[in-house]
Amino acid sequence: MGRQIAFVLALWKTNLLSAMEYRVSFLTQMAGMMLNNAIYFVFWIIFFARFEEVNGWDLVDMLFLFGVVATGFGVGTYLFGNAVRLSLLIASGQMDYYLSLPRPVLLHALASRSNASSAGDCAYGLLSFGAAVYFAGAFDILMLLRFGLGCLAAVTVLISFLVLVQSLTFWIGNTNLLTSNAFNAIVTFSLYPITLFDGTAKLLLFTLIPAAFIGALPAEFVRRFDLAQLAQICAGSAIFLFLATFVFYRGLRRYESGSAIQVRT
Amino acid sequence: MASGGRRQAAPGSGVRSPSLKAALGKYWAIFRTQLVNSLAYPIDLLGRSLLIVLFMWIFMNLWRVTYGASGAHTIAGLTLADTMWYLMMAEAVMLSKRDLSEEMTEQVKDGSVAYLLNKPFNFILYHFAAGLGHSVLAFGGNLVIGAAVVWLMVGPPPGIAGWLFAGAAVILAWLLDFCFSALIGLSAFVVEETAAFRWIYQKFLLLLGGVLIPLDFFPAWLQTFSLNLPFAWVIYGPARLFVEPSLARLGQVLLQQGFWLALIGGTVWILYRRAAARLAINGG
Repeated sequence: MGRQIAFVLALWKTNLLSAMEYRVSFLTQMAGMMLNNAIYFVFWIIFFARFEEVNGWDLVDMLFLFGVVATGFGVGTYLFGNAVRLSLLIASGQMDYYLSLPRPVLLHALASRSNASSAGDCAYGLLSFGAAVYFAGAFDILMLLRFGLGCLAAVTVLISFLVLVQSLTFWIGNTNLLTSNAFNAIVTFSLYPITLFDGTAKLLLFTLIPAAFIGALPAEFVRRFDLAQLAQICAGSAIFLFLATFVFYRGLRRYESGSAIQVRT
Repeated sequence: MASGGRRQAAPGSGVRSPSLKAALGKYWAIFRTQLVNSLAYPIDLLGRSLLIVLFMWIFMNLWRVTYGASGAHTIAGLTLADTMWYLMMAEAVMLSKRDLSEEMTEQVKDGSVAYLLNKPFNFILYHFAAGLGHSVLAFGGNLVIGAAVVWLMVGPPPGIAGWLFAGAAVILAWLLDFCFSALIGLSAFVVEETAAFRWIYQKFLLLLGGVLIPLDFFPAWLQTFSLNLPFAWVIYGPARLFVEPSLARLGQVLLQQGFWLALIGGTVWILYRRAAARLAINGG
C-alpha cells in the first residue's frame, strides 16, 4: 500500500514538474478557468437578485455548492487527468503501456496525466467556499473538515462515474458520444439545487447520473452536520468506487492490444 | 514542410481572381461535403441532439418552480411557455454552432495550416462553409427534438412567423459566431494556446448572450449593457424573435447583427491577411 502511495505521489510530482516547464501556459489556463467559472456564477447572482430563493436554496447555498463541485472536479481531474480520456486510451490500444508495467493499471493510467485548467477549478472552488463561509457568517474547524470530506466524496464519485461509463468501451467499442453526454449531464446536474427535482428525478441523480453525490448532498453536509447525509456520502462513494474498479478490471480481460507504435515523451 | 523562419505569402496573392460563380461553387461544394459527411453518422447526430432534452428538463424544473414561487403569470412580459420556447431556441442555436477556433488553433500549432493555405480557397471561408454544413444538420436535429420536448411540457410553439423570422436571424447569428471563432482561432498565430479565450467567449454567450436566462429578466442597467454587446445578437436576438415575432423586432435584430458582422468580420479579415503574411512554419 505504502509503495503504491509513493508511486502515485511520484506521478503527481512528475506531472507538476512537467506543467511548470510551461509556466505561462499553465497559469493562463488556470486563470482562464477561474474567470470562466466566475462568469458562470454571475447567472446565479442575477437569478437570486431577482427571485431571492428557489425551493429553500439561496445564493449562499449556491456558493457552497460551487465550492464543493469546483474543488472536487478540479482536484479529481487534476490528479486523475486521464479520467476524461480513458475511452480513448482503451479504444486506441494505449493501455498496452500501463499493462506492461508492474503497477495497478487503473491507478497508473488515471494518474499519468494532469490538466492545467483543473487547477483553476480547484482554486475557484476554494474561493467560492471562502465566500460562502464569509456570507454565511458561521465557520468552525468542523466545517473545514466537512468540506474536505465532501470534496473527497465528490472526487471519488466523479472519477468512479467517468471510469464506469468509459469502461463500456471494452464491450461496445466507441463510447465518445456516450462519454461526452454523460460528462455534460453529471456536470450540469451537479450545479443545480437538488430541490428543483421531484422523486423520480432525484432517484436518477443518486443512481444513473450520481450528480447528487458530487454537488447537492456534500454541499448541504458542509453547511450543517447530518449523520444520515454522512452515511449516504460514505456509502455512495464506496459503492461507486467498487463498481468502477470491478467493471474496469472485468472489461480489461476483453482488452485487445493495439498494433500502433506508441511514443511516450 | 517549410523550414523554420520561412515566410509564406498570403494565399491568392498574384493569382487571377476567379469569377463569383466559381468562387461560390467551391464553398458550396465544401458545405455539401460536410453536410453529407454529417448525414453518414445519423446515430451520432441523434445522440448529440439528446443533450437538448437534458437542458430543457433542467430549465423546466427551474422555471416552473420560479414562476410558481413568484405567483405571477408573466415575468418581464414572458409567460412560462414563452420562456421555455425562448430557451429551446437559444439552446438549439448554442448546441448547433460549430466552434471552429479549436480546429484552427490545432492547425496553426501543428503546422497543417500550411496545407490549407496552399489550397485554392480562402482559409477563413473554407472553415465557414464546412462549419455551416455541420450546423445546419445539428440545428435541425436540436430543433425537432427540443421542440417535441417543450411542446409536451408547455404546449404548442409560436406561430409560423416566429419560425421564419428566427430562421433568418439564426443564419446571421452563425455568421457572427463564426467571426468570433475565427478571431479566437487566429489569435493562435500570436499566443498558440487559445483555450482560455474560448471558455470565456462561451460563458459570455451563456450569460450576456441569454442562453441561461432571457435578458429581459436582467436588471435594467445590465440589460442595456448586454444589448449593446454583440453576444446578445448571437443568441438572444433570434430566440426572442422566435417568441415575439414582429417586423420591428426583426428589423432591429438584423440591423444589430449586420452592424456587429461588419465590425467583427472586418477585424477578422484584416487580422487574417496580416497573420497569413507573417506566418512562420517550423518543422519538416
